[in-house]
Amino acid sequence: MTVTTAPAVQVQGVRRQFAGSRRSGGRVALDGFDLTVAEGEFLCLLGPSGCGKSTLLDLLAGFSEPDGGAVLVGGEPVSGPGPDRGVLFQTPMLFPWLTALDNVLYGPRARGALDDETRERARELLHTVGLGDAVDAYPHELSGGMRHRVAFARVLVNRPRLLLMDEPFGALDAITRVALQRFLLELWQRDRTTIVFVTHDVEEAVLLGDRVCVMSGSPGRTRAVIDVDLPRPRSIDDTETLPFVQLKRRVRQALEKEHA
Amino acid sequence: MSVDQRVEPLVSSLPLEPAAVVRTVRRRSRDWSRVGYGLLGLLLAALLWEVVSLVKDDPVILPSVQATLRTAYDTLTQPYPAVQGRTLLGHALVSGLRIVAGWGAGVVVGVALGGAMASVKPLRHVLDPLIELTRPLPPLAFIPLFIVWFGIGETSKFLLIVVGVTPIMVIATVSALDAVPAELVKAGRSLGASPLHALVTVRLRAALPGIVTGMRLAMGGAWTSIVAVELIAASSGLGYLINNAGVNLQTSLVLSGILAISVLGLLLDGLLRLLQRATDPASR
Repeated sequence: MTVTTAPAVQVQGVRRQFAGSRRSGGRVALDGFDLTVAEGEFLCLLGPSGCGKSTLLDLLAGFSEPDGGAVLVGGEPVSGPGPDRGVLFQTPMLFPWLTALDNVLYGPRARGALDDETRERARELLHTVGLGDAVDAYPHELSGGMRHRVAFARVLVNRPRLLLMDEPFGALDAITRVALQRFLLELWQRDRTTIVFVTHDVEEAVLLGDRVCVMSGSPGRTRAVIDVDLPRPRSIDDTETLPFVQLKRRVRQALEKEHA
Repeated sequence: MSVDQRVEPLVSSLPLEPAAVVRTVRRRSRDWSRVGYGLLGLLLAALLWEVVSLVKDDPVILPSVQATLRTAYDTLTQPYPAVQGRTLLGHALVSGLRIVAGWGAGVVVGVALGGAMASVKPLRHVLDPLIELTRPLPPLAFIPLFIVWFGIGETSKFLLIVVGVTPIMVIATVSALDAVPAELVKAGRSLGASPLHALVTVRLRAALPGIVTGMRLAMGGAWTSIVAVELIAASSGLGYLINNAGVNLQTSLVLSGILAISVLGLLLDGLLRLLQRATDPASR
């Protein structure tokens, strides 16, 4: 492992504005926004819709550029999207014309980095996410949860140093959602990849994150950063313990305060 | 596989659906029963035809099924008209080539225009009303105009098909490209694809099934155009054969020509279906 002194993510005084009609003069999604994420940390961004959390994730992914301030990943300014930052969307966004394996191999193939070792690793990853039998299945043949797990494998094959997740489980039914949360916890426990996870679900944020950054809009600002000092490894059962419930209340109060 | 023994799945607790296998098998057997019912429908139609022809007992009004098939079979080798004519296959080939040429050109022009309109906003605003104006027009309305401009040669036939096919392809291409979610392209980019690579392997690729559907729709329209123009101004082609045979009260030949059109149409659509299956796994 390389030793990096810089934090995994540094967001400094970022401003991001969207062009609007002449009368409204555009909407400021983020203004003077600061955020630091340590290497190997699981950070949850929590806030109501329209608070700029997805905008922030877009900046980190390199899909858009800040109008002011700096966005650094691994100490270097972000310029355009790249495979070092794996992005998981609200829907899996698999390529429907490719099999599960070819979806996973899309990144290496697009970069001209496809070799036998990568092929082998892609199969291994699909097996790790529980899809060893569905390597040759097309996305439409898979269930919603299975598609999400292919999307994970597709990102992980690039060995990203940062995972960006934009409400990835928001559109799933409760059962699949819990299964995928458990899966993500196990995955993070194993790899300790830095994760920035956007959600509007208080319980999900507390269950998954090392820290929960409560945001308010608009423009998006950090209202509170709450450390989640619950022991790891965590499981879904922890959601019924007293410390968990207390933390959940603290986060919810921080979230509600700004709306009062 | 050695890999399977080394790595423990993270989600052992999650039961996997017995994948696609079961579903595919079930679909196969349903397919076969559908073919059976389809054949039954065809047989019933032929039976009705036969009964009506026996009741009417007049080959000019309706020749029997066998008489029609015999005429079709004979015309495969005997040219029609006898002097300076072609065989049924010859006429079918002429019509087929006209279709493929005009439709092919229309597809190329339509996809190019549609692609440009989907990516360049001002171009879209300029061309949109034009497309919307030509779209509801039956191409047949252009026949007199094209005959005045280009005579009754191949040019007017070719252009008539192009005029019918192009707007359909433009609309199919634009809507197929519009329907590609922006996040799908973003996903490609964040996996390491260059902007151009993502454009070709994600955006265009994702639009392909929609474009092929447009191609199938346009093919139907092309047949209407070509048969109509051959009825009016041609000395070869299935439309000409049908018209000429009708004038001479050779009803069994008219029906043979119609059968030939539907066989050729099925053949071309079958090829496009294969293309659709190749581009869209969900349609298999």
